[in-house]
Amino acid sequence: MFFFLTFFIWTCMKHYFQQLLCPLSFRRFGNSLSEYFHLLQLRYNTLKVIGAEFGTSVLSYFIFLKWLLTFNIFSLLINFSFITIPQFLAAEPNNLSFTGLELLTGAGYFQQTVLYYGFYTNATISKIKNGPSYNMQLAYIFTVGLYFVICFLILLFSIAKSFWRNFINPQAYSVNASKLLCTWDFNITNEKAVKLKQKNLSMQIKEDLTEVNWEVLSVSAKERVVCISINFASWVASLGTALAACAGVYFLSTNNLKLFVKGHRNDLESQAAMLVLPVVTSLLNAFIPFFYSWLGRLERFKTPGQHIYVTITRNIILKISILGILCYYWLGIVAASESQCWETLVGQDIYRLIVVDFIFCLLGSFFGEFLRRIIGTTVYVSLGLPEFDIGRNVLDLIYAQTLTWVGILFSPLLPVIQIIAFSIVFYVKKVSLMMNCQPPRKVWRTAQMTTSFIFLLFFPSFVGVLALFSHTFRLKPSEECGPFRGLSSMYAAVSEWIEILENYTASKWVVWIYHNLITSELFFFILSTLVLIVTYIYWQIIEGRKTMTKLLYKQISNEGKDKMFLLEQLRSLQRAKQTPSAPGGQGQAGQS
Amino acid sequence: MGGSASLLPREALGEYQELTFLSKQEILLAYKRFSELLPKEERENACSARVPKSRILTLPELRANPFQHRICHVFSTSDDGDDSMSFEDFLDMLSVFSDSATSDIKSHYAFRIFDFDDDGTLDRKDLEKLVNCLTGQGEESRLSTAEMEQLIQNILEESDIDKDGTINLSEFQHVVSRSPDFASSFKIVL
Repeated sequence: MFFFLTFFIWTCMKHYFQQLLCPLSFRRFGNSLSEYFHLLQLRYNTLKVIGAEFGTSVLSYFIFLKWLLTFNIFSLLINFSFITIPQFLAAEPNNLSFTGLELLTGAGYFQQTVLYYGFYTNATISKIKNGPSYNMQLAYIFTVGLYFVICFLILLFSIAKSFWRNFINPQAYSVNASKLLCTWDFNITNEKAVKLKQKNLSMQIKEDLTEVNWEVLSVSAKERVVCISINFASWVASLGTALAACAGVYFLSTNNLKLFVKGHRNDLESQAAMLVLPVVTSLLNAFIPFFYSWLGRLERFKTPGQHIYVTITRNIILKISILGILCYYWLGIVAASESQCWETLVGQDIYRLIVVDFIFCLLGSFFGEFLRRIIGTTVYVSLGLPEFDIGRNVLDLIYAQTLTWVGILFSPLLPVIQIIAFSIVFYVKKVSLMMNCQPPRKVWRTAQMTTSFIFLLFFPSFVGVLALFSHTFRLKPSEECGPFRGLSSMYAAVSEWIEILENYTASKWVVWIYHNLITSELFFFILSTLVLIVTYIYWQIIEGRKTMTKLLYKQISNEGKDKMFLLEQLRSLQRAKQTPSAPGGQGQAGQS
Repeated sequence: MGGSASLLPREALGEYQELTFLSKQEILLAYKRFSELLPKEERENACSARVPKSRILTLPELRANPFQHRICHVFSTSDDGDDSMSFEDFLDMLSVFSDSATSDIKSHYAFRIFDFDDDGTLDRKDLEKLVNCLTGQGEESRLSTAEMEQLIQNILEESDIDKDGTINLSEFQHVVSRSPDFASSFKIVL
């Protein structure tokens, strides 16, 4: 709902700035800024090489990966400076020993480090007597809250900008053939890639021409019924598989808990048992999409774009539902169990999920691209080189980022792991792409797909995480560890602070904002109504513009006809003027 | 790199930055690549030398491009008609193909590049040559006459708004404005 408000503000700002400020001065400022960043030449060259050989569609995956990396770096900076460094000043010594297995399981030595929620103190840290004090509880809540607010704003602006650029021009007709005028990708500089692209383009043109002819033929009613029933059956099958996967994960996780809480053994067996859940989850996430793409091949879609969207939707439903079940398990069951420090347990679970997911990503690259190339060139030459599956890879990135966001509250330094993982994935994918893959065959509408991916990042992932947090804030934190021990909920820290502030007259405005804006329902009701009104106005404007466009098209075509008519008249009059025996020789001047 | 920076005078650098969409790094890089195309004796006055078309087409960015001849023709200001390019023509070309050029400029020059007979409109013959460039010269990838006819008919139906059988600049810009990928694909960066 904030989306459309932002959209409105963005349009106004853009309009005024374009009119008031000289674009040249902005460019000069931008130029001088970019001069200081020419150190980033290295990354820039890598991206240029990828774009040159594979085109802008594959490049968009790497740009998306870089963008997600900046989110994690930003989170790391904030968390490290505001939470971890003060914690170092008040740290308790770590008595556990370090074995190598911790890197995989996240338990053991790491349990008593700043990696997890449980280690953080609930005290007010002050090194100097009567000096400035640092309230750890408030710092924790506000740091995480601030990070999410900033992420929210960044995502909102990115979506608004993308949406504006790519969807706003009302497309009255489907433009297939005339797209050819602007499809050539001038970035591609490799000769083989150019020849390949030309071949693909010609194949696609031929396919499109025959497809148009197919659509003109009427499809019989029986075929349509068969088509619809196949579609319906595929949806039932895919939703059924997702449900079965969720049930399996839930069953496994509750059994895992029994293993964990009852016996606190530290030997190798129990450590291996902790890894079963993440491995099974990653296996499900890796193999069920193959089933979905097989289903997709059985069905018949009106356009290839529809096929891509349906496959992506099914994959997203699978991943989000598995994650949802895990969150229910963590917040509903682990939180209510008698374990010592449930937040640290949840943090460790998420850590393991991230590490195993990263390992599976590397394995997937190895099997999916490297081995497939070997098979495609030696044993089954008809298969050929594999294509880089942009949709699958971007969904994997979105899933990994969602896991990180879910885990930030329970493990503030989780972005470090994700930064390392993303950097390694960037280089591995790049090397694998260069060595093993061929450029994509079908046309991939880069701009629209990028918008959809940012939207997917925002809507199920980010909003889901926000909903999760609003629930977590009302849960009872564990008694013995973490910055919120002893309180009735994490949220109670804020309400207690507000109560303290009420006694100081200087901060009455903070209390006022809290009572009237943040906790009052009336304010949000008014805001929502405003946004709905603005959305309705914009919708009416777009409808009006569509009608206007149609009228203008007709007008231009009519004027073209008028021009032809008048030219004909002129020609016939000139002919009449030239033949002297023609009766209508007068009145030629001043006509038409 | 430092050597070439001292060869390009500062005021010229500033002027080029004002007149084109390129940044200082990009202009210096362009100067370096341009002087590499010249024989050693002429590298001192690279700013006023002209590079013949055959040398320009050895650049890796243009070598495999199917529109290489049209690009050289459009951006060359040579009076002899031999499509040779001076440094300023080269900068012009890079500026239009750069990241910061506006969509208007790009579509304007794309129209000129696709207008094979330079008559200001894209008629059927221009479109035919365009499609041949896009699909390549190989035997399997060329379209048959019937397919070509059908394709050109479809294109004209969708983009020729005033129904005069040709696509003029405004109609072309209208088509391009509906394709959001155009700006990012109409790009050549050194």
